Amino acid sequence: MTLTATAPPRSAGTAEPGRRRKSIWSYWRFYLALSPFYILFAVFGLYPLGSTILLAFQKWDGLGPRQFVGLQNFSFLLEDSTFWLSLWNTLVLFVMSTVPTLAIALTLAVMLNSAIRFKGIYRIAYFIPNITSLVAAAIFFAAIFSTNFGLINSGLRALGLPTEDWLGQPWGIKIAVSAMIVWQWTGYNTIIYLAGLQAIPTEQYEAAKVDGAGPLRTFFSITLPQLRPVVLFTVIMSTIGGLQTFTEPQVMVGETGGADQSGLTTVLYFYNTAFRANDYGYAGAIAISIFLLVLLFTAINWRLLRGRSSE
Amino acid sequence: MELSRRTLLAGSFAAVVAAATGCSSSMDAGSGQKKNATGNLALWCWGGGLGKSVLDDTIAHFPDQHIKYSEIGGDFKQKLVTTLNGGTAIPDITGLKGEDIASLLPQADRFVDLKTVGADSVLGEYVEWKVKQATTLDGKVIGLPIDIGPTALFYREDVFAKAGLPSDPAKVAEQLKTWEDLLAAGLELRKANPKAPIVADATDMYGTIINQGTDRYIDKDNKFIGDQDHIRRAWDLSVKAITTKVDGRTPGGTPDWNAGLDQGTVPTVVGAAWVALDIKAASKTGVGKWRVAPTPSGPANFGGSFLAITKNAPDPAAAFEVIKYLLSPDNQAKAFADAQIFPATPAAYEKPQLKAADPFFGGQVPIDVLGPAAADVPIAYESPFDSALAAPYTAALKSVQAGSKSSEAAWQQAVSQAKQIGKRQGVQ
Repeated sequence: MTLTATAPPRSAGTAEPGRRRKSIWSYWRFYLALSPFYILFAVFGLYPLGSTILLAFQKWDGLGPRQFVGLQNFSFLLEDSTFWLSLWNTLVLFVMSTVPTLAIALTLAVMLNSAIRFKGIYRIAYFIPNITSLVAAAIFFAAIFSTNFGLINSGLRALGLPTEDWLGQPWGIKIAVSAMIVWQWTGYNTIIYLAGLQAIPTEQYEAAKVDGAGPLRTFFSITLPQLRPVVLFTVIMSTIGGLQTFTEPQVMVGETGGADQSGLTTVLYFYNTAFRANDYGYAGAIAISIFLLVLLFTAINWRLLRGRSSE
Repeated sequence: MELSRRTLLAGSFAAVVAAATGCSSSMDAGSGQKKNATGNLALWCWGGGLGKSVLDDTIAHFPDQHIKYSEIGGDFKQKLVTTLNGGTAIPDITGLKGEDIASLLPQADRFVDLKTVGADSVLGEYVEWKVKQATTLDGKVIGLPIDIGPTALFYREDVFAKAGLPSDPAKVAEQLKTWEDLLAAGLELRKANPKAPIVADATDMYGTIINQGTDRYIDKDNKFIGDQDHIRRAWDLSVKAITTKVDGRTPGGTPDWNAGLDQGTVPTVVGAAWVALDIKAASKTGVGKWRVAPTPSGPANFGGSFLAITKNAPDPAAAFEVIKYLLSPDNQAKAFADAQIFPATPAAYEKPQLKAADPFFGGQVPIDVLGPAAADVPIAYESPFDSALAAPYTAALKSVQAGSKSSEAAWQQAVSQAKQIGKRQGVQ
């Protein structure tokens, strides 16, 4: 609704105001057509966002009266070692999961693009992890990484290798959590890369072939540059998703985040603060910090990838 | 046409404004709660929170009240708090979980003080420490106990016997009187059977020891006491379990835990009465091999819940009659038979439903251990911020378990983090 109220006067131009007002109203059908999105966005997006920002400046236990505390929540945030630890965990998990995810996805997509038979089946198979229930998958992964009866340790034992207490060790937790993210998102990114690959004109490849370029040269000189916008999209989507990692560690190692709080991501810390410690105001401040972090990273990604492609 | 456009736009604008103001006004605490106008008595609880036959019987027993029971799934407290804030469709009677009650006590004015509707006549029937949990510092009682979770030592008789440890419950009770005894027995067990650490998980053990005490992390004067001896003792005992390698590092509920219960590699569980259900579910081959003995160093409570009447109830006295009936000793015994909901009324322990021998426990009568435990649970003051302050200790103990931090470094970290959380909440 804000848009309908503020946008029209800008388009009003220079002629006499009476007529202009009428012309605004004459667009009502378009506003009506757009309104479901804006109404839903206002109720479920804008309003919660606004109240979260408001909450970040208050102290509230969820039921009692709210108390305005100014920047106190943010100053706590700066000296809260657990918060910084959770940020570090989130970033490490983000790198550990996004890099392999995108690398594997790109490789798979290139392979799939040149494959001829059973394409549809491969695509479905790759996409299935993405639509699997996150909690069910996390329980499954926790079982795979179990110390005594887990699949991975059974495999190591069968090979005569030493086993590892995956979910009891700081690095084991990070590996288990990122393995699950890789599993879940690789197929999704593969399908997107595949769509990008199929949009590259075949003439370019034919020309490269005529010029005598090998498969590697073709990949780095044609495929990758052509895919840049698609890569930008997947990197930004992965950033937004990766910085909000929550369910995987929560189900696999519990709300404390396991050994050394290694699985405590910022969103998990936010969840604990709000819904376990009933400290909603402070949780609001954490939520805003995640929001700012996502903005920052998206901007960095954008600059890096866009900047290079315009060279 | 002109007119209809205007009306339409004005109408939709008004709808948005109404929605926005509706939302924001509903966030105001307390004010504008609507009384239940339908004549139904809305009752909320979580799945398995109340016995089915007891519930059906209660609904039939109060036909005039039109009790409307709703089973609320998911995060119960979160849904209750949201509804209380929302101001509409608030239940008249609601379940409150034991782990949430401390954080709800500061909001006691959202609930009916049961003493004002005649609770004094029945409160004596319930174990005292449980009623205390639902009592504010100024003496208001906001909940009547549904059930309690007195702890016991559940153990594998066959694993103990094979390792040369006492296996008869009476002998186990005699030899494993304290945590130190248990850790010593653990060393013996480890020698005979290295695959069966006597402590399932040191962080779980730490929680039990804290629950056994009369002091926790914050005292009644809102002072931080999480760095004092009673906490340090629990910490040191748990660290000892880790360093002497009698800690299995298998937290309750994990796949390893479930498999271990069945295969004998998790030979003991120190847990509340309701844990018996989990053990039975996991240990299909363990029928007849499990036994129950008293918790080393005395019983603690874990879990257990309440029924409360919200300020929304149009007739609190009538609502109280319903919960009084629903939670009477007779019905508590029935609820135990229904769904192993452990009664909060000692009178129920004498009923035949609880006196039955349990073939899973080799014909032992678990109430013989759990009944006395229920009576001896210590009374501790639990601050609303208690669980928030407890979290860093468990997290730090996990680091000791993983071997990534020394006990001393982890302890320092836990204390400073807990202090930090306390400071934010106004704890001195």
